[in-house]
Amino acid sequence: MTEFHPNALCFGEEFPATGAPCLVHVEGHGLTVTVLSDADAGERRSESVPFSELTVSAGGLDHDQLVATWRGPTGQRTLYLKNPDVIRAFRQGAPDHLTIPLERAAEQVRQVRQRHRMVWSIVGGALLASVLGLWFGSDRLVELAVDRIPIEWERKLGESAYYDFLARQEVMKDGPAVTAVTEMTHRLTDPIPKNPYPFEITVVKSDVINAFALPGGYIVVFTGLMKKAESPEEVAGVLAHELNHVLQRHGLERIVKQLGFVAVVSIVLGNPPGLGGVMKQLGVELMTLKFGRAQEVEADLTGLQLLHRAKIDPSGMITFFQRLAEKDQGRVEWLSTHPMSSARADRLKVELADMPKQIPEPFTFDWTKVRATLGGHAGGSP
Amino acid sequence: MKSEILYPGAFPMVRVELAEGEHIKAESGAMVACSPTIDIESKMEGGFLGALSRKFLTGEKFFFQTLRASRGAGEVLLAPTVPGEIVVLELDGVSEYMVQKDGFLAGADGVTIDSQMQSMSRGLLGGEGFFILKMSGKGMLLLNSFGAVHKIELKPGQEYIVDNSHLVAWSTTTTYNIEKATSGWVASFTSGEGFVCRFRGPGLVFIQSRNPGGFGAWVRQFIPVTE
Repeated sequence: MTEFHPNALCFGEEFPATGAPCLVHVEGHGLTVTVLSDADAGERRSESVPFSELTVSAGGLDHDQLVATWRGPTGQRTLYLKNPDVIRAFRQGAPDHLTIPLERAAEQVRQVRQRHRMVWSIVGGALLASVLGLWFGSDRLVELAVDRIPIEWERKLGESAYYDFLARQEVMKDGPAVTAVTEMTHRLTDPIPKNPYPFEITVVKSDVINAFALPGGYIVVFTGLMKKAESPEEVAGVLAHELNHVLQRHGLERIVKQLGFVAVVSIVLGNPPGLGGVMKQLGVELMTLKFGRAQEVEADLTGLQLLHRAKIDPSGMITFFQRLAEKDQGRVEWLSTHPMSSARADRLKVELADMPKQIPEPFTFDWTKVRATLGGHAGGSP
Repeated sequence: MKSEILYPGAFPMVRVELAEGEHIKAESGAMVACSPTIDIESKMEGGFLGALSRKFLTGEKFFFQTLRASRGAGEVLLAPTVPGEIVVLELDGVSEYMVQKDGFLAGADGVTIDSQMQSMSRGLLGGEGFFILKMSGKGMLLLNSFGAVHKIELKPGQEYIVDNSHLVAWSTTTTYNIEKATSGWVASFTSGEGFVCRFRGPGLVFIQSRNPGGFGAWVRQFIPVTE
């Protein structure tokens, strides 16, 4: 007895609901359908169905199966064919009266596939368009939203984060370092016309070479930054950069953008598993990245203008970035929110060259003495 | 390859006996215990791209584990993550089943697992996402459910309505449409059913007696919110 290799499923009264696996042959007069009548003993039973008794249509989950029905000796029989060779033989061997229904079934399959393709292309196109729209049009939308938020709200937002942060830090209340930073701040902020922010600056004892600004005018300078800076102009350069994050309302823009983007993406995609979830995370990250970098460049350039207006030597800002650049090797600029320090320094040099020359006014304190009160050199990294 | 379901009910386990050289692929993490003759391998079914598409598109696991009786005959005990029944199907080479993403537990080597894209309406409203698993080939297939499994046998043309979140697996000879549960939109959602699937035979539809999403929402209300 040869092995039984079924190529179709046959449904009928005496067969299980799963359908009986059967072997279909297309012959001159019609179809021969063979089923296993006793699977254990390997007994087979064949049934010949003339073409004249068959009706055909497309069926199955994706309408991609050929369904042939006829009235057998024990009632209605339904055959589900998926094997392309059998379907081809059927279409070739079928007499004229079946040609039209066969072609209609084939046409139905084609239409279903075409409709799927069309719907997917439309949805894909719409998704792409909204992603591009968000990417390029979001800046203006965010600006509009940020303009409507009052300064008091922004201050409240920054205030809570500021005091929350300071509660966990060692704050320098007075001393030469605090006096120096206060003088720098006054020099920088006094010439700003109609400054709405009463800036608050705190020096925090930490070896981290950094400073940061919170919405509403709250600025933190770490002693690590002051230890690393070789001149007060370098610290003033970083301060000018941070002050501009506040003046340009960058923190607020970022919050609005992040919240808005997450909200939009959540509405569009929901919280899907798999690809959707990955795309959502990726989109939010990319958006943050793009936005972060644009803000850094803006704060650099406006910071330079602020230094110029305050008559502080702007080259301090540039030398500080150049020194940071030595630590940057191996980083890839477009993967970072902060532009590369060397690229920043170059950008600032070009900008500085276009500014009118002026004689800078020095600070009243002695920087060497200020640094001496802070102890040795910084060991942290930016 | 022989299988036996142990402790049928809410917390079953399945024992699969493998002859020397035979192997079975199972969902990653499904193995509970095995004979010392069994080797456990991690395999990306369908190659790297197949595994990647399954992971991203259906949310299924990236790796399947292959349990191979390479050093003599042995047995493997398998269990799903969620409480619920296990159902054993024997694929005959022509029958094919669509399985919702968490429904696959294990399959014989002859069983092919593909991720397949659904139509827009089924993907959006069907509750299984745009990509589901398609099981074809020949051999034993083990599916698991959340709660008990109920088998619905449909004759040609016979219809049955199933809440979409209760679906486990269905034959590819069936077809279904997504519909609102009631004639009005508001009543559809206030009835708690939302969308339902109207299946039309012939073929089998396996449903689960509990809805994982609904259970998750129920549990969530007892989880304390932390700052």
